[in-house]
Amino acid sequence: MCQITINGETVNVAKTSTILQAARQLGITIPTLCYLEGLEPFTSCMLCVVKEQKSGKLLPSCSARVQEGMIIETDSDEVQAARRDALELLLSEHIGDCEAPCQKGCPAHMNIPQMLRQIAAGELDKAILTIKKDIALPAVLGRICPAPCEKVCNRAKIDEPVSICLLKRYAADANLDSSVSYIPASLPLTGKRVAIIGSGPTGLAAAFHLLQYGHACDLYDQNEGAGGTLRYGVDPDKCPASVLDSEIAVIAKLGARFILQKTIGKDIAFAELRGNYDAVVLATGVIDDSLAALTGVPFIAGKGFAADAKTFVTGVAGVFAGGSAVRESRMAIRSVAQGKTIAYSIHLYLQKKDIAPLAGRFNSSIGKLTIDDLQAMLKLVNTGSRKSPADTDTDCLTAAEAVYEASRCLRCDCRKPEGCKLRQYSEEYNADQKHYPNINRKNVELIDQHNTVIYEPGKCIKCGICVQITERSAEKLGLTFIGRGFNVRIGIPFNSELAAGLSRVAEECVLNCPTGALAHKKGEEKQ
Amino acid sequence: MSQELLLYDIDTLVESIGKGPDAVIPILQAIQNKYRYLPQAALQRVCEITDITPAAITGVASFYSQFRHQPVGEHTIHVCIGTACHVKGAELVYESFQRFLKTDPITDTDPSRKFTLQKVACLGCCTLAPVVQIDTVTYGHVQPEGIPGIIQDFSKFVRKTATKGLKRNTNHVRREGEIRIGLGSCCIAGGSGQVQEALLQTLSEQNIHINVKRVGCVGMCHQTPLVEIALPGKKPVVYNKVQPGDILAIIHNHFRPRGIYSITGSLNRFMDSLIADRTDTEIKKYPLDMRDQPVAGFLGPQVHIATENYGIIDPLDLDEYRRHGGFTALEKCLLHSTPDEVIATIKNSGLRGRGGAGFPTGMKWDLVKVQHNPDKYIICNGDEGDPGAFMDRMLLESYPYRIIEGMIIGAYAVGAHTGYLYIRAEYPLAVRRINQALDNCRQAGILGNNLLNSSFSLTLQVKEGAGAFVCGEESALIASMEGKRGMPRIRPPFPSEQGLWGKPTLVNNTETFALVSWIFRHGAENFAKLGTLRSKGTKVFALAGKINRGGLIEVPMGITIREIVENIGGGIAGGKTFKAVQIGGPSGGCVPAELADIGIDYEALTGVGAMMGSGGLLVMDENDCMVDIARYFLSFTQDQSCGKCTFCRIGTRRMLDILERLCAGQGTEQDIINLEYLAEKTRQGSLCGLGKSAPNPILTTLKYFRHEYEEHLDGYCRAKKCKALITYQVNDNCNGCTRCAQNCPVNAITLIPYQKHSIDTSVCIRCDTCRQVCPVNAVEVHSCAR
Repeated sequence: MCQITINGETVNVAKTSTILQAARQLGITIPTLCYLEGLEPFTSCMLCVVKEQKSGKLLPSCSARVQEGMIIETDSDEVQAARRDALELLLSEHIGDCEAPCQKGCPAHMNIPQMLRQIAAGELDKAILTIKKDIALPAVLGRICPAPCEKVCNRAKIDEPVSICLLKRYAADANLDSSVSYIPASLPLTGKRVAIIGSGPTGLAAAFHLLQYGHACDLYDQNEGAGGTLRYGVDPDKCPASVLDSEIAVIAKLGARFILQKTIGKDIAFAELRGNYDAVVLATGVIDDSLAALTGVPFIAGKGFAADAKTFVTGVAGVFAGGSAVRESRMAIRSVAQGKTIAYSIHLYLQKKDIAPLAGRFNSSIGKLTIDDLQAMLKLVNTGSRKSPADTDTDCLTAAEAVYEASRCLRCDCRKPEGCKLRQYSEEYNADQKHYPNINRKNVELIDQHNTVIYEPGKCIKCGICVQITERSAEKLGLTFIGRGFNVRIGIPFNSELAAGLSRVAEECVLNCPTGALAHKKGEEKQ
Repeated sequence: MSQELLLYDIDTLVESIGKGPDAVIPILQAIQNKYRYLPQAALQRVCEITDITPAAITGVASFYSQFRHQPVGEHTIHVCIGTACHVKGAELVYESFQRFLKTDPITDTDPSRKFTLQKVACLGCCTLAPVVQIDTVTYGHVQPEGIPGIIQDFSKFVRKTATKGLKRNTNHVRREGEIRIGLGSCCIAGGSGQVQEALLQTLSEQNIHINVKRVGCVGMCHQTPLVEIALPGKKPVVYNKVQPGDILAIIHNHFRPRGIYSITGSLNRFMDSLIADRTDTEIKKYPLDMRDQPVAGFLGPQVHIATENYGIIDPLDLDEYRRHGGFTALEKCLLHSTPDEVIATIKNSGLRGRGGAGFPTGMKWDLVKVQHNPDKYIICNGDEGDPGAFMDRMLLESYPYRIIEGMIIGAYAVGAHTGYLYIRAEYPLAVRRINQALDNCRQAGILGNNLLNSSFSLTLQVKEGAGAFVCGEESALIASMEGKRGMPRIRPPFPSEQGLWGKPTLVNNTETFALVSWIFRHGAENFAKLGTLRSKGTKVFALAGKINRGGLIEVPMGITIREIVENIGGGIAGGKTFKAVQIGGPSGGCVPAELADIGIDYEALTGVGAMMGSGGLLVMDENDCMVDIARYFLSFTQDQSCGKCTFCRIGTRRMLDILERLCAGQGTEQDIINLEYLAEKTRQGSLCGLGKSAPNPILTTLKYFRHEYEEHLDGYCRAKKCKALITYQVNDNCNGCTRCAQNCPVNAITLIPYQKHSIDTSVCIRCDTCRQVCPVNAVEVHSCAR
């Protein structure tokens, strides 16, 4: 036995243990990428470094053995910096986008590629879940959205972008037309009540999400019908009122109360509302200075309420403001997105938590794709050109058209966005992918000659876990390291196909690959 | 080649080597020897009939640079890009070959499939830099404009050797005395092979019968080829820079001709221009008296221990080695000392490992000795991969018995009964000589069971490395011997506990073993008298670069860098200014001329950011760019990194990216900050010595020459070395001779006889040819800050 100290705690472990094993015995977690229990430690990623204080050395804990009297620190600033350095180096050669450009370009951050795959697979019931997670009014937006997502779609660099907006509309319409339209599940009622002033896109979206959190919502509007600009500022040929009504009905079913033809300041005093509710949302749309002044909430003359750009908190506690009430926007999707964010801020506020913006996840980014990259991606998808609806009267896609169009998606997003440990740790250690620019990056490469598995060498961190798994299971060919130095890669012996290399342990390799390098072809599904 | 024939060949070849997983490297080497590359069908066959898996063979075959996966041309042109060649323009030479032969960028082979172009890390002929080797023929001091001539000469050589064999006269009366000819690799590179051939031929034609004796390296590589005529009663006479055409004249100097011969003096001018040092205006050959000033300077400060009896003994003559005291140290140890006493002597001598890190040798031996395992191994690390060092090669070639003796003593001390000499496959002569020496020892009862009639038994054999710098690291070397990719693993456990096949293993550097027998013959205290407080004895260096006299030197520890450069090296060549020395190759650092008064000592070198390293000692002058030097070493280490740990694999690449940007004039201040940071992090975070020391060239050049990095940000390269930052211009000296225009490979100069020429900088590729061919120094290189 041998005694060592880790983060001030003393532990007795067998002489043959590694520092990692000793730390685990103490319940101390150390991040690892290349280490997998049961395999020989390969000592490659260097994420598991810890510092031995006596020698002042950084040691890879997965394979460094304990020595009597070692004093180890696993979480000091220096250790964290070293881990971040390792991550930033790994990221500098990581050829992959965690999220697709369309999702990043969508103000509501909707998981568009997942929706497209669900539509392509005919799984419309799943598609509506994906959509409604972020977008309260997809049928309306499917008709009026200027589709910023399509402007950044990588497919546009080959021919034309995927018809994302129409496909969203297709899925939303199909759901509204079905016998049971989707009503998201709500958390138990919290007893908290929120007043929303204005039932335009911001207010409706805020209500849609607040209700799911279990907070009751009353929407006040000066007009006869709810919907604000969606009802009164949109060409009815483009978006008939009936579509809006159907989506408002869903929000009403969630429990929203609409108090119409009431003007704040005239019919109800703002102070009274503040007294009656736990929180108030100012979603009035464009508001003139005199009305704004009545609320007592600070505003910028000629512009609207002053609110934090990320949390939509105003100068008055419990009062939030968004949409055109803060800054005029003609893009309803932006208002809908802000409604969602406001709901999240209020949810935090009502739980008396610090109000912080909904943290975006870490995103690896390839940057600009080259023609070669795009061609590689195109090989796996529908190469046909963009399909417009044959029915030009309704401008609706048919089921066949939708499947065709959705399968044009290049699948720019990662197949393992959640399971990827590289992403998880990059987030945790706040790694910056651009710290070490990769000037001559390699091309996107997709190796897919396999029934279920796809291999992307550009995402591989060369940890060799798959090599060891195939070796252990005596795969006939297996996987191996090829080459040396910076250009080392994992490959299949004798230039064989992936299926020949991974015949028995494909699942095990996908499961244990720490990144999206080895993934299921269909990818992860997330909700 | 028919498929069946190939399979049959593979089967027989495997039969003779073995079928275990550790046979993979020898099998691959045998296949490549046969087919000149590795046909995939052959590898698949190997997997069918052995225990070697497809994954293992693919991994190993692609790890080592020796192995080729594409068919190659009839002849291979090895362009040495070692350190010394680099500072003398090897890149320009390589590019010129590419242009001249129009090689394909992927196969590196010319359209007629006659020549394949290949860069090699070091041919070990640093004093002849830049060096190119075509098959077995070596050309030194190669310049871009000489390339057509080299190809032409080589083609002639091929035709000649195809028709002519070497004549020997067997019916003779021997004369007393001997003619000694240096036949180390560098001598051979300098042309001593041709000289030997001419010598034998001339002697046979002249009917002169005298013993022609090959001797190992004399160390004076700057004077090769060397021929020494030793006749009884006469002072030996040494001729330097001898050419085949000189032989007749030399022979006539010493032996009365038995007939009338005309000495035409028709030296092979063409060969001269290729091989001889171009800085000499006229090639002079004269008897070289050892007492002459330059040579006294070269040899004077040296102390020969590892290189004892240099230039005198025939490397493979066992009797001669014994006449000079060979194997008496071994006898003393075996018959009169216990292993503990042997180790005590080594400890008392203060000997430290000569592989670079300087671990005390006696302590290392002790660590292996105390292991209880009955199976132990001893390994001589001869995987010298530093691109500017050739000490181990020279020792293995010239003093095989001395190394074997050192190994046997070590094996006896630690209790190992099996041992290996791991030698780079790039050193074929060393492999041949060691193998022959081992055979001779076995026959003489110096190896094998109960050697020298003692109770001690030891078998030794050679394992050939396959070209991976990282295999100099002991855990990687062991992995390689076990038939794996040469990837280091974490230490501890050290090889002394768990080495080859998991058994206790002693790994020492070649030079370390070469010092052992002297210590026993002369006493530990005499060894310890040499050197400094903590670094004892001598160190062998490969001295090269911008000095007047380069070569293999052995100096006492503690000698100053300045003494080496000025006395031994004869100062900087061409009247330029001494700028820095690079010690220890890719793991070492640049020591500026201001610090040249420090003595050679492990700690002193580490103190200035350098490292004893393997012993490369490259001298640089004002025309060497320190950013370029850092870039050069990083391009080497990032290529040689095994690719295992993140910091080394990606860190070295990112540092190289930054250095490339700086050399291209595209760097930013942030780049320098990032470079320094990453260098420090790679030093701390890498798994093995390669990664830990790879940043040294950057850290030292940043420390001592930061201003040069900063100047590159402004587009200024003071050494006028970085291509993107320089322009070529013709000045008024131009007499319109048109040579520049005729030689320009890209037609950047319009040919206008008798008028001043000018260079179109937009077309110019900065190959330096025009400047070199200009007879009137009319071509100038400029670099100016933006």
